[in-house]
Amino acid sequence: MSDLDRAIAQLRSCRPIPESQVREICHKARELLIEEGNVVTVAAPVTICGDIHGQFHDLMELFRVGGDVPDTNYLFMGDFVDRGFYSLETFLLLLCLKVRYPDRMTLIRGNHESRQITTVYGFYDECIRKYGSANVWRYCCDVFDYLALGAIVLGASNTLSTSTEPIDEDTEIEVCDQSGTVMSRFPRPMQRPNSAEGHARSPNGGGGSGDKTGPPGSGASGSSGGSIGNPTGAVLCVHGGLSPLIDTVDKIRLIDRKQEVPHEGAMCDLLWSDPDEIDGWGLSPRGAGFLFGADIVKIFNHRNDLSLIARAHQLVMEGFKEMFDASIVTVWSAPNYCYRCGNVAAVLELSEDESGTGLFARSNGDVGRSDGGRGVMMEGETFVRNGPARRYRVFQAAPQDSRGMPAKKPVADYFL
Amino acid sequence: MEPPQKPVAPPALPALPTLKLLDQSSLPPFSKPIKRINDGPDVSRFLKSLAYRDIGIFILQLNHAMVPRHQPNTPLPRVFPLPSANTASNTPSIRALQELLKVVESYLDEAPPDPGPRRFGNVSFRKWHGLLEERVGGLLDEGRLGETLKVGNGQAKEEVSSYLLGSFGSSQRLDYGTGHELSFLAFLGGLWKLGFFQDGQQDGEIEREIVLSVIEPYLRVVRKLILTYTLEPAGSHGVWGLDDHAFMPYIFGSAQLNRPINSNEPTPLEGSVRGAPRPADVTKPTAVEDYRKVNMYFSAIGFINDVKKGPFWEHSPILFDISGIKDGWGKINKGMIKMFNAEVLSKFPVVQHFTFGELFSWDLDPEAAEPAQSVHMANQPIVSAAVAGTSAPPPPGSGTGAPWAQATRMPPASSGPGIPYTRAPPGPSSGSLGARPTGRSFGGETTNAQISVTKAPWAKD
Repeated sequence: MSDLDRAIAQLRSCRPIPESQVREICHKARELLIEEGNVVTVAAPVTICGDIHGQFHDLMELFRVGGDVPDTNYLFMGDFVDRGFYSLETFLLLLCLKVRYPDRMTLIRGNHESRQITTVYGFYDECIRKYGSANVWRYCCDVFDYLALGAIVLGASNTLSTSTEPIDEDTEIEVCDQSGTVMSRFPRPMQRPNSAEGHARSPNGGGGSGDKTGPPGSGASGSSGGSIGNPTGAVLCVHGGLSPLIDTVDKIRLIDRKQEVPHEGAMCDLLWSDPDEIDGWGLSPRGAGFLFGADIVKIFNHRNDLSLIARAHQLVMEGFKEMFDASIVTVWSAPNYCYRCGNVAAVLELSEDESGTGLFARSNGDVGRSDGGRGVMMEGETFVRNGPARRYRVFQAAPQDSRGMPAKKPVADYFL
Repeated sequence: MEPPQKPVAPPALPALPTLKLLDQSSLPPFSKPIKRINDGPDVSRFLKSLAYRDIGIFILQLNHAMVPRHQPNTPLPRVFPLPSANTASNTPSIRALQELLKVVESYLDEAPPDPGPRRFGNVSFRKWHGLLEERVGGLLDEGRLGETLKVGNGQAKEEVSSYLLGSFGSSQRLDYGTGHELSFLAFLGGLWKLGFFQDGQQDGEIEREIVLSVIEPYLRVVRKLILTYTLEPAGSHGVWGLDDHAFMPYIFGSAQLNRPINSNEPTPLEGSVRGAPRPADVTKPTAVEDYRKVNMYFSAIGFINDVKKGPFWEHSPILFDISGIKDGWGKINKGMIKMFNAEVLSKFPVVQHFTFGELFSWDLDPEAAEPAQSVHMANQPIVSAAVAGTSAPPPPGSGTGAPWAQATRMPPASSGPGIPYTRAPPGPSSGSLGARPTGRSFGGETTNAQISVTKAPWAKD
């Protein structure tokens, strides 16, 4: 068993590893991350996760529900640390898994992966408490600077992978509970002028306004001659959202990201912005980033051949929330946030496109290979199979009874 | 368990100051209070203001009154437990505020929570708050309140009402935090200055009534608002804050259990009253249930237990650590006051919302000590004037006007309590950090960030 595997085992049991080992792992992780672009390309299948915030036991529950590493390919959209009691164990475990299985684990940066935010919201305090010095906090912050800013998921299928039960291939969205039992399914809507099924389609009423016209950009991706070769369009994953300074994914790639998260500018916006029911851009009540409306998302997705933006950054009581005709989704993975919010958490599974028209179509020239009627349906249709099929696994907080009480720590100076 | 007859009388301490009444014969020109703290450096200016002095005096005055008292002819000290929830006071001023809080609470029935989809906070809180805004004028016209507030052509009422309106959370952000709690304290302090509480028995009794029969009922209303509308903890630090919403019950509740004194003695800095629960009992749900009806500290812990699921030591590690203190509730009381000074009064995100008029004035306190300057003040809005080790505390009784120093012999905000443990300020080791964090945010809440929404610490609003 290697040192790394031992560290992973120790962290899995929620015990911090020695400072020297943290330094070593952070160093290795940095070497790995420095090679990644600002926007990492990830091939489906992949399970996309939102904020964790140091809720270690709930992260274990997430792995139980979503499948363990490396069996499942994971993409975490940041905010590993702050507020929870186990930010340290959480981040270090994810980082060790990244180093151990670099191709099965993608970590992108959240607004909390920052020196300034962690000194305000808890991670700094936690490191001091657990190690007695700020060294480990410094090592971690140095890694934060190298985390990618986003990811592009390619090759996601427009049908769901087989689940335990037979599944209609017209199913666009499936919601499962933590034992894998299907709670609900939503068929892909046909494009109809008066879409009464709009309500039925959106699993948590997040659709907002307007007709269901299908995700914009789908027409482009169908006819783009395979600029990316992806029948469903790619999925952009980013922690917060869009920026008025960024109109193409390529512009994200141009950012010099290896720095503390700035207070403003494109990099800041990607990590801080929120979608909102407005037109265009708005000021964010957070004091950083912007609010952006459906029109902004649709234009951006169209221009970039995206069918969906997956982001995190906001608590949603149901664990996930699709907005703007399913052109953007918020995924939240910290159940009963801060021990009191009463929310469930979710992860988003995108399955691998095996129809042959997906990511690998151009490389192997195998276009048209089909199973059953799928190929037939694909021919000539330009609107039905738009976004990728999405399976949300919803889960609750891990049971709390088995955690022993630790010794009391020295109190703050105020009380000396 | 301190033997009562061993007073370690410090030589001629100055008497505990109390909040001065305004001279009714020459009242100042009242005006609508305005925001003054717009930027980081303004916090250090605030720490030299009359308002800061008066807030400090008032809190310490109330705190001192809550400490158990020796009684003549009996070894048993007099303690000051919470009265049962519906006990009406015989003091007209107190009863008027009890009635006011009841009316305010009744607005909940008129604004039931919205059943529709929501992200977290319930939008019906805006309706509740709207009712308060609409009716606060009328509420303050009634009876003794109306009598007191008609001075100064009604402008005094405007000052007081703005603090009351600021006491119940933000209708815009659907949150509640220590800044709102501070506003309620200013509401009471303003009434004090206007002589509203002169009808009560002075020298401690009226202060106790304010704390037990007004502040605790206020906290009960706030807790009901938090539960009904799922108001978010303003600026929650998650498990790394003292409490998601409140601070005052920890101050006054620990004072209730402090070592007994004679009224002319200072607040003890350690020890507990005989029969007090042990600090460690905070972690025992049954003990919390036993004491939450009589003690404000346990009442606050009880509310945490009501709303949070999970092990106490995990969701409330700061309170858990404090429960290990061996030197009694006096030590906890002293620490809470220091912490309040550093984490509430000295934090930009909290005090930026405080407004200043004549009752709480932005004018310089001529006797204020100079807060220590730090590089942080120059370039970023999160400032805390408390930087450990930058200056020595002035010797007790040296004439500094800082009420904190006089009352508890603790260093003033400018020199002391900022840094818990032995933490050095986090130094930048790489990256381009435009503005350094102070690295001293430890247990405070802010009023402008939320549990589900992280707000930029540099944000101003």
